[in-house]
Formats: sequence, structure tokens, C-alpha cells
Amino acid sequence: MTRSLVKLTLVWVFLMAVAGAEFVVSGVRMEMANRPVLLCFAAVMVATIAFAFMHLGRAPTVAKGFAVAAVFWLIVLFGMGSMDALTRDWYPVPHYNPY
Amino acid sequence: MAEPVVVVEQEFQYSSLFAQGQTAIAGMWLFLAQECLFFGGLILTWIYARYWNQAGFDAGSHGTVLWIGSVNTGVLVTSSFVYACALLFIQAGRSRLTAWALALVIALGCVFLMLKGYEWHLDFDSHNWVNDPDFPIKGELEGGAKLFWTFYWIGTVLHAAHMVAGIGLVAYVLRRAVRGDFTVAYHAPVEVVGIFWSFVDIVWMVLWPLIYLIGRMP
Repeated sequence: MTRSLVKLTLVWVFLMAVAGAEFVVSGVRMEMANRPVLLCFAAVMVATIAFAFMHLGRAPTVAKGFAVAAVFWLIVLFGMGSMDALTRDWYPVPHYNPY
Repeated sequence: MAEPVVVVEQEFQYSSLFAQGQTAIAGMWLFLAQECLFFGGLILTWIYARYWNQAGFDAGSHGTVLWIGSVNTGVLVTSSFVYACALLFIQAGRSRLTAWALALVIALGCVFLMLKGYEWHLDFDSHNWVNDPDFPIKGELEGGAKLFWTFYWIGTVLHAAHMVAGIGLVAYVLRRAVRGDFTVAYHAPVEVVGIFWSFVDIVWMVLWPLIYLIGRMP
């Protein structure tokens, strides 16, 4: 048990360090388009919590399937939902007033 | 003092206690998959609204209380860590230690909610409410800032509601742990509630940069 406890403690230290790094980086001057880089820190923390605290790695296979499905549908949701905003500069949309 | 000896009987529809536990864990993950889409829709709305109102969102973000959001991040990460320890203790047959760890998780959850309540009080005092006639940001940024604060209130209230549900579930598991319902062989409820508790933590890991950090970047 002691070894597992040490591992969990190291994970906690790692998570606090990532949160601290995220906080520090948020004070760095950055282009507006690059600001979502902060979400990379969040993604690292989410993955760490999922595997170290929620034990996704040793979950039943069907549970892993549910987790993968959630990530897949989030990619679809964010991908399709952001498509207009992300490609507006590539394919200018003419102003259209149906009335 | 010796740990109490308990015998847990499986429900009739399962082939074994192990299968019963695995089914409960899979069920929680299925629930969390739809929770991801629930919060995903909210975050997509935020991305879309921010894209068209970046300056207004940034102005609104400057009105949030950064220290409370950041301290709460540490509180939640720590609570997930303590819950993981509680699971470790029950797997080692240390049910008393498990109970103490679960009680600490509840205390940390209450600290989070108290800080959040104080933050909401400060937000009201600063008139950061969409219908408030003294809303602090006027002019061309007002619309975007109000959209930000709409997202802030919906996001933080929904998250706090999940925290309250989580504290209730941890209290239920604590009661059963004190009663001696869990064994080394069967402790699925401890694991299932822990998965939910860490998920609520995960949601905050995403809300924290969106609400407090991105808009403040120089």
C-alpha cells in the first residue's frame, strides 16, 4: 500500500505543478489565436486524473469504450460547431438578408 | 482494534460480486459520457460566443475573482487525490482510514462550495449580473461582457450543483463505510462514487482556464 500511496502523492504533486505552470503561462503575452494553448495544460490534467484517480486503464473494456465514445463525440461536437468560425477567413461568406 | 468482518451478498442478476462491481463501474462511465456532451455543449457555446466577442469576453473575465478560482482548483485536485487514497485504503482492508479520508473529501468539497459562495457574493456586490442596471462594463464591450457573465453563471452554478450531488454521494459511501459494508473483495460503490467525484474535478480543470485565465492574458 505504501508504494501505491507514494505514487498517488507524486501524481498529486505533478497535477499541482501543471496547474501552477498553467497559471504562470497565463501571464505571458501571447497572440489572441494562441491563447487556447492554456487548454493543453487542462488536457494534461484531465488525462492524468482519468488514468491515475479514475483508474480508466483498469476499467472494464465496455467502460473504456464509453470513455473513447465520449472523446469521439466531443471531437465531433467541437469540430463541427467551430467549423464556421475557424474557416470564415478561408471562405468568405457573403452577407445574405432573406428579407 | 480489529476491522469488522462483513459478508456482502451479490444481487441475483449477476454471476459474481466482481461482475456486479464491474457493471456498476461501466454504468458510471456511460453516465459520464453523456455528462461530457452536456458540458461539451456549454463549452462549445462559450467558444462560439467568445469568437465573435473576444474583447467583451476579456473585459468580463477581468471582473472575476482570480484567487478564489485558483485556490478552488487546488482544493479540488487535493480532494480527488484524497478520494483516490480512500479507495486505496479500502483495497488494503483499512476501512477506518477509508472513512476518515472520505470525511476529508466532504470537508474539502464544502470548502470549495463556501469559497464559491463567497465569490458569488463578491460578484453580486460588483454588479456582475446581466440584468443589473449598474453592470460595470458599458459601451461597445457591454454585450460581449454580458455574454461572458451569462456563461460564468450557468457554468459555475451547474458545476456547483454537481459538487452538491457529489458531496451527497460521498456522504452515502461514508455512512456505509462506517457501517462496515465494504470489504477488500467488494467495494464497488467507493470506486463508482470516486469516478464521479473526479469527473466533477475534471470539469473544473476546463472551466478554470476558460473563466479566469484566458481572458486575463496580456
